[in-house]
Amino acid sequence: MTKYAIRRIAQAVPVLFGISIAVYLVLLLAPGGPTQKFAQNPRITPAMRAQFMHAWGLDQPWPIQYCRWVGICNPDTNPTVIADTPILNHIPNPESFLGPTGWPNFLPSGISGASNGVFHGDFGYSIDSGEPVMARIARGALPTFILASFALVIWLIVAVLIGVTAAVKRYSWFDQAATIFAYVGFAMPTFWLGIMLIYIFGVPGILPVSGMTDTRSTPGAFGSDPYWVYFGQHPIAAITDVLRHLVLPVTTLVVVNIAGDSRFVRASMLEALSQDYVRTAKAKGLSNRSVTFKHALRNAMLPVLTNIGLEIPFLFSGALVTETIFSWPGIGHLTIEATGKFDYPILMGIFLITAVLVVMGNLIADLAYAFVDPRIKY
Amino acid sequence: MALDAGLSPTPDGQQVPDALGADYEVGLESLSQWQLAWKKFKKHRLALIGLGILTVLALVAVIGPILIPFSFDRVPKVDVPVAAGRPPSLSHPFGETGGLQRDVFQLVVNGARWSLLIGFSSMFIGVIIGTIVGSIAGYLGGFLDNILMRIVDVMLSLPLLFVILVAARFFAGARDNVWTIVIIFGVFGWMGVARLVRSLFLSIREREFVEAAKAVGVRDRRIIFKHILPNALSPIVVSASLIVAGNIITEAFVSYLGYGVNPITPTWGNILSSALTFIPQGNWWWPLFPGLAIIITVLAVNFIGDGLRDAFDPRSRA
Repeated sequence: MTKYAIRRIAQAVPVLFGISIAVYLVLLLAPGGPTQKFAQNPRITPAMRAQFMHAWGLDQPWPIQYCRWVGICNPDTNPTVIADTPILNHIPNPESFLGPTGWPNFLPSGISGASNGVFHGDFGYSIDSGEPVMARIARGALPTFILASFALVIWLIVAVLIGVTAAVKRYSWFDQAATIFAYVGFAMPTFWLGIMLIYIFGVPGILPVSGMTDTRSTPGAFGSDPYWVYFGQHPIAAITDVLRHLVLPVTTLVVVNIAGDSRFVRASMLEALSQDYVRTAKAKGLSNRSVTFKHALRNAMLPVLTNIGLEIPFLFSGALVTETIFSWPGIGHLTIEATGKFDYPILMGIFLITAVLVVMGNLIADLAYAFVDPRIKY
Repeated sequence: MALDAGLSPTPDGQQVPDALGADYEVGLESLSQWQLAWKKFKKHRLALIGLGILTVLALVAVIGPILIPFSFDRVPKVDVPVAAGRPPSLSHPFGETGGLQRDVFQLVVNGARWSLLIGFSSMFIGVIIGTIVGSIAGYLGGFLDNILMRIVDVMLSLPLLFVILVAARFFAGARDNVWTIVIIFGVFGWMGVARLVRSLFLSIREREFVEAAKAVGVRDRRIIFKHILPNALSPIVVSASLIVAGNIITEAFVSYLGYGVNPITPTWGNILSSALTFIPQGNWWWPLFPGLAIIITVLAVNFIGDGLRDAFDPRSRA
């Protein structure tokens, strides 16, 4: 088990490195770029542009740029290339690997004294607003967290109820209806469901369809300082307001996601119900309810929880569609906005954080599975 | 599997002997793997319905645009203009759009051509890349396998919808960009197939007939393509059907955001996208029909996928 865990963690390291290089290269190769913003500005002379490029290290070869972005290299040292040979001239100067205190730069700030790069939680600055990337992402994380957690709890409960009922009453009309619902839910584009909900509830004015707060009654956007002041003064009104705005996005997420997960619960439950220990429990004379919920469901929930554990990292980014339709000011919305404005640092931050969450989620799911289920041996 | 089907004839349902010693003819007719699969597929009612729907849709996609062609530059003449458009009526069964008052039926019919084209051709690209990568990794193994699978891991860890969006935004700026979108979808849609094909190759390459082929001195390329791949084909076909469904939905979403296919091409996503600004006018018929078209198509493709899975499953009986 320990050996397995160590091997899995060792495997994750190159993958994470690969992800960071892939993210960096893809966005480096893409058009736009930091200097695009003033390409059309006649008051910026080529000399000023060159100065800007130099100040931000953009005139360096990409391995050095990547090295500084990740935080292995120290940007304050002279980044002269080591040799003129074609193969070696992209390798940074050995000195630039060391932080201000002389320890390797990638070590925590307390040891190396460095504060640059992803290793130290510094993802750079948004090209569009100049705000630090982490601060901007953190601002979007709270709305996404609120939306995702409400949706997750409701859809988990509903999916389990539907799946268990369908499995216990297999081939009944309820099971058939659940099957049809799952098929249609699978086939339905999320954004189309959102649009239709807007027609049904938004156009007649029953529920709000856009944003997180009512702009008429609330001062400032959600998360801004005036908003928190207002929140302190009228907590009940503020919470009701957010809840009202939550209804449609949460409904959309729930409907789309229970389609798949209710099938998963059903399949898992059917398998559990056919196990020997269920027959034994029934033979002992236990009630159906007790057998279903205590013996079968507990075991059936194991793969379900793993599956949902794997979905959670994508919830960080995965409510993209829903957030876009309902203008929910979360990470998904931020991604679309940053894509439109070619705001690379933000995109790199979001991609990298999501990828790290996915890799860690996989790792934790695998290890937890091995820990919880004693039948699994490695 | 093909090999077994060739060696052991499959008797027809009725002609199975019910008692030992009864005289019956052996090997009435040996069915190939595909004939066997088709026999089972025909028994799957939903899959047949799906196949029927998809055939009709394909016909609409081919013939429809010839009968009622759509041109972005040609604006229909309207007697009495209504800015919000008109609800479905006899002359316009799907209603009219707001603004230019185009016929929604005409849009949806023309959209079928593009949406199906994008869904299927990007699937082909993805499946071809995935099959090549997966067979190399699975057959050769070792260092190359490790590298290729780590690349797959890296790509699967990225939020793909985001990546596709960004790629489409960056590379698909041209006016006529359908094929760029198709290539982007293909390039980011092969990882699942690669993993599947690799695992199939890992198990099939240990089988006796591969060993026999190797012993006779057949070259690697021939073993991969002539001996192993045909035996791995059925799971690939099943996963291909799921990819088509996914690509149609993703295309619609990317186009709906305005980063996908250029609005001059009426894909279902583009029709939905242009309906957005008219939501406050309440003309529900505009987004309703392209959305239903997407649902029906994806349902049909998924039914076919289910049917194929059962048909290719050696444990299920015809």
